[in-house]
Amino acid sequence: MAEPLAALDAAPPAPSRQSSRMTVEIRQTSPAGQRILIRGAGLLIGLAISVAILAWAGVGLGNLANEFIYAIFSDSRSVASVLVQMAPLLIAGLAACVAFRVRFWNIGIEGQMIFGSIAATLVAITDFGPPALRLVVMLMAAALGGMGWIFVPVALKLKLGISEVVSTLLLNYVALNFLLHLLYGSWQDPKSSFPHSEQYDAIERLSPIGWENVTLALPLALLLALILWWALNISRFGFFTRFVHANPKMAKAIGIPVLGVTCAAALLSGALAGVAGFAISAGIEYRMTQSFFFGYGFSGILIAFLARNNPIGVIVVAFFVAILFVAGQSLQVFYQIPGAIVQLIQAIVVISVAAAEFFIRHRLKWTK
Amino acid sequence: MADFILNWLVVSPAFAVPFALAALGLIVAEKSGVLFLGAEGFMLVGAMTGAGALITMGGHPLLALLVAMLAAALVSLIFAFLVVVLRVDQIIAGLSMVFLCQGLTSLISTQQGWTNRPISGLDPIALWPLSELPILGRLLFHQDAVFYATIAIFVAFHWISNRSLLGLRLKAVGENPDAADAAGVSVALYRFGAVLCGAALIGLAGAYLSVGVAKIWVDGMAGGRGWIAIALVIFARWQPWRALAGAVLFGCIEALIPRIAAAGIQVPQYFMLMTPYVATLAVMIWAALLRSPRTGQPAALGTPFVREERR
Repeated sequence: MAEPLAALDAAPPAPSRQSSRMTVEIRQTSPAGQRILIRGAGLLIGLAISVAILAWAGVGLGNLANEFIYAIFSDSRSVASVLVQMAPLLIAGLAACVAFRVRFWNIGIEGQMIFGSIAATLVAITDFGPPALRLVVMLMAAALGGMGWIFVPVALKLKLGISEVVSTLLLNYVALNFLLHLLYGSWQDPKSSFPHSEQYDAIERLSPIGWENVTLALPLALLLALILWWALNISRFGFFTRFVHANPKMAKAIGIPVLGVTCAAALLSGALAGVAGFAISAGIEYRMTQSFFFGYGFSGILIAFLARNNPIGVIVVAFFVAILFVAGQSLQVFYQIPGAIVQLIQAIVVISVAAAEFFIRHRLKWTK
Repeated sequence: MADFILNWLVVSPAFAVPFALAALGLIVAEKSGVLFLGAEGFMLVGAMTGAGALITMGGHPLLALLVAMLAAALVSLIFAFLVVVLRVDQIIAGLSMVFLCQGLTSLISTQQGWTNRPISGLDPIALWPLSELPILGRLLFHQDAVFYATIAIFVAFHWISNRSLLGLRLKAVGENPDAADAAGVSVALYRFGAVLCGAALIGLAGAYLSVGVAKIWVDGMAGGRGWIAIALVIFARWQPWRALAGAVLFGCIEALIPRIAAAGIQVPQYFMLMTPYVATLAVMIWAALLRSPRTGQPAALGTPFVREERR
């Protein structure tokens, strides 16, 4: 009788229960308040890191408050410059938003902006169409130009399965070189021989709305946001995009025209990006310059990401990114901080918010 | 004509090396199942730290290359933490890393005054007596240390990925992380390690651009080579030797651009500058048209591993 007991004694001891460990659990749901809190915390951490980097670069906290808050909201001219900056950002954000709704990663917003502006400038230079409709023709041309430029990646993705991330990005470089070819060649300003197009005539500019230097570009952008909100949230097309976003295979199985919806959303994205190029050329600079598009591609992605692909949210985020752009310009002038700081801060914010989302989908638990 | 071709081929390896190293770095990282879109950014980190290390510390250029590799690996820790631990969408994380690195390198190099400062670069090493061979001697045995190292790295990777337990486990993690995890392989550890090693190789590719070829740092000098490398990896179906062949092809194309201008052939300059990007697209289309049943893409590429959801 004693022998089995002896065998038990020889068995290795049960694992010690004293050490606690952390386990990750997947949350099935997360209340709205908690989601907002977590994303807000991510945003704050991102901004805190940005402030620390700026402090290292020589811009103290007091100066920052001055550049970002006081200098911008103290007089109406500065507020207006934010609103002017906001218009193209808003449209670029919408372009990213509609593409991401069908999981089409349009990284080529800058290339499409270039071709939008080229098409609009072509109309302006050749004085095409009746003068009364010139701006409308330019707008249409810009939309078509952007759409044409995204058509190749769309076709390659849908027909051959080529990753649109790489193809749209590579086409940015092609578009940039084509732009330089024009601006250092036949489209060079004949008056100053600088590498930018000749100035648009008065009828080819988006006219001021009568307050400071804000032009029709802003109402245009807001109108586009409302239309897109309707298209994505009310219309049948928007309903279809939700299925495609959630699960393309399932969407196909229940009879949703996945190919058509993806194609339409991607082309719309290109068209919007083209209009963003038009908004800069006809609404801010009144000519096509060689770097007008710079930085809008990533900003569009950031805006759509932070606004969670909601066109109304895009309006709000675009306003804050516009503040960042304007403050970035004055940091460049007064503190010799390179313009890339704007990009850096945006990247830090995206990373910290995306990282914080871990806590929306997961729960950490200490297990004893 | 013979002179033209010879002069062209002799400079081509210097253009091919960054593509080859970056593509191999991407293969290392992506074999573990992590979609690595940040290559362009890590090339910039490598290029800037390489130049910066040479300016601030002096010393041998090879030391600067080592510093650049370490710096790229260090920055990639952020990326690895995001995608492996926090399970952030790998496309979002990769893209953000590119823009983070663009901003960071521009800010740091401006603050430190490293931009547009000429640096002493790598010198070619003649492997005597092989360097005395006609044509081949100048082409293959009169290059700098990184060129020889690249070949050694490719051979080493070939051996590791096919002959060692490490390589097989890496493949397992990228193909079927669930099974690898069940077999006791730490998916997180392998993915962390793969991202770090991959980023170090991509950093070396970038540092070679500034220290080896241009001998200067300018903002954004990677100029899309990181993206071209991503396309090369897709074209090469994640096989290192095919990637090396692609890198040589692209090196030759890139080396041709200044040669054509120097030879006085009239081609619009900006159309010439488009060729690497157009050629990349063409290669991707060609690879897609072949419609090979095996794309070689690691099955788990782009999907985070969540043990709690393991089947």
